[in-house]
Amino acid sequence: MDAHDHHHDHTATAAPQTEAPPGYYETMETALRELLVEKKLIGAGEIRRQIEVLDSRTPALGAKVVARAWVDPDFRRRLLANGRTACEQDFGISFYDDTELIVLENTEKVHNLVVCTLCSCYPRPVLGLPPDWYKQKAYRARAVRDPRAVLAEFGTIIPDDVEIRVSDSTAVVRFLVLPRRPEGTENFSEEELTALVTRDSMIGVVPVQLQTGILS
Amino acid sequence: MTPTEQLVTRLPNDIGGLEAGRIQQTDHPLEPWEKRCHALADVLDYHKIISTEEKRRGVESLGGKMVGELTYYERWIVAFANILFQKGVLTPDDLAKKMEEIAARWKG
Repeated sequence: MDAHDHHHDHTATAAPQTEAPPGYYETMETALRELLVEKKLIGAGEIRRQIEVLDSRTPALGAKVVARAWVDPDFRRRLLANGRTACEQDFGISFYDDTELIVLENTEKVHNLVVCTLCSCYPRPVLGLPPDWYKQKAYRARAVRDPRAVLAEFGTIIPDDVEIRVSDSTAVVRFLVLPRRPEGTENFSEEELTALVTRDSMIGVVPVQLQTGILS
Repeated sequence: MTPTEQLVTRLPNDIGGLEAGRIQQTDHPLEPWEKRCHALADVLDYHKIISTEEKRRGVESLGGKMVGELTYYERWIVAFANILFQKGVLTPDDLAKKMEEIAARWKG
């Protein structure tokens, strides 16, 4: 397991002799990749290109989508009708994993929370890769049974008269929460609004908050 | 429900609604090989060699002990190997020889 104790990049080229050898699972990853390339089942450059795609997807992308929905009622309507199509058409976001995107709108009466109880399905095209806690047992097990307590652990207290809806993701259907626009942002530009939207607010574990001091 | 019935109705991944402790709000940047493993999953799915659903089932069929003790991407890479064996794409021998070859690169 010592492979997990070091942090270096083996992707470059030949193995540098001064570093520790890769661990068992890393060696398995390299072996499978090389065998698949040798058998021409995947192209040599495909992994590298997909890493670039993965690196290009961060919560900043989802934040742009949310802010646009706040300022543009027509976009909001289309986003809620078909999340994937709206993201593709207005932002040119490709859904490289061929998943559908359902956008869940938080309101005064409904708070949405997203989980994947079976594994770690997540709206990767618009948020990037999920945080570790999203993939771990405690969140997956408890989000569907006791969401109010889970939210409280994130510091989010939802009033009893607000319904909490938990959506369980699948391999082909992913969810993105459209959080509520904070009060006091009526005069904010779309760009200023984008800066307020966090990853966790789009998973549904926290609201979007008007942080003081961030804007001059 | 008896303990053996639980084993039948609850596969290792099916944990929604179970008791569990506090959420550890941790995160870590992926190791380079973990990111390559993730990219490999996407490429395998794209080429319809291993779909996301097959991967999930492959992880589940590792059994509770491995699911519990391997890390996230360790489970993925072992599941990929098993699925590729099952589909006749690779043999265990292919993989063993390639892993030896890679290990030997570091001994020079």
